[in-house]
Amino acid sequence: MTLKQKSEKYDCADIERLVQKYIDSGLNDHEKQLFEEHLEYCLPCDKKVSFELKLKSIIRHKMSHEVPPENLKNKISNLLEHLE
Amino acid sequence: MAENKQREFSELIEPHISSLYSTALRMTRNQNDAEDLVQDTLYKAYKALAQYQRNTNFRAWIFRILVNTFITAYRKAVKQPQKVSYDDLEEFFLYKRLDETVSIQETSKEEFLESMFDDDVKEALEALPYQFRLVVLLCDVEGFSYNEIANIIDAPLGTVMSRLYRGRKLLQRQLWDYAKKRGYINDDFKAKV
Repeated sequence: MTLKQKSEKYDCADIERLVQKYIDSGLNDHEKQLFEEHLEYCLPCDKKVSFELKLKSIIRHKMSHEVPPENLKNKISNLLEHLE
Repeated sequence: MAENKQREFSELIEPHISSLYSTALRMTRNQNDAEDLVQDTLYKAYKALAQYQRNTNFRAWIFRILVNTFITAYRKAVKQPQKVSYDDLEEFFLYKRLDETVSIQETSKEEFLESMFDDDVKEALEALPYQFRLVVLLCDVEGFSYNEIANIIDAPLGTVMSRLYRGRKLLQRQLWDYAKKRGYINDDFKAKV
């Protein structure tokens, strides 16, 4: 295998190195394609990456926005009235 | 004039109050301080409104003021979590621990994530040092891009990424500790050989 061909495939170490960027949609098209090609044939990596994606969405879901208390709403209206 | 400015300001901030408050609450870990932080932020934003360029990213602009205000006025008053260790921060930390847990093999690891209480996730996040907590909140909860976060916290992109990645790993370790403490996981943690 030539160097070029070798570099055209990602191994498990590449997945580990790039997983966080991947879950933030931060890979460029080429990297993303290589990343996903690896997941297609590597079940252990595929499972780990889905777990990370799931964890990210669970955190967003469980930390969903707090309803601002009435007290804050009053403070804000009061502030807005007194701004010059 | 002043009335127009007030009306414009009020319309600009309205959609962001709840995310500003949520972030303030996670950062100060205290309702009163969070309310004051939001109020201070809005006051400063109003005073600086002339510097805001219309039709640019208002949400990032006002979060930048929130973060600045937090760092200059609140950070010192907020009790920092106990010292955290940065050892053993491997990638896929939580997945690997669950994989070693005999009782979780039967059920799915993702079901385990679903079963955690909201408060456990909040406490785990609040246990992170503020620099890490902030970046995780801005990315994972508020959905800001790396570039927006770099602008909000006034740090280079590389710093954003390293804090985010490290913060997430710390969070995973914290969640794992909670899982053991709260009895989500109740076997003897015999690692698979």
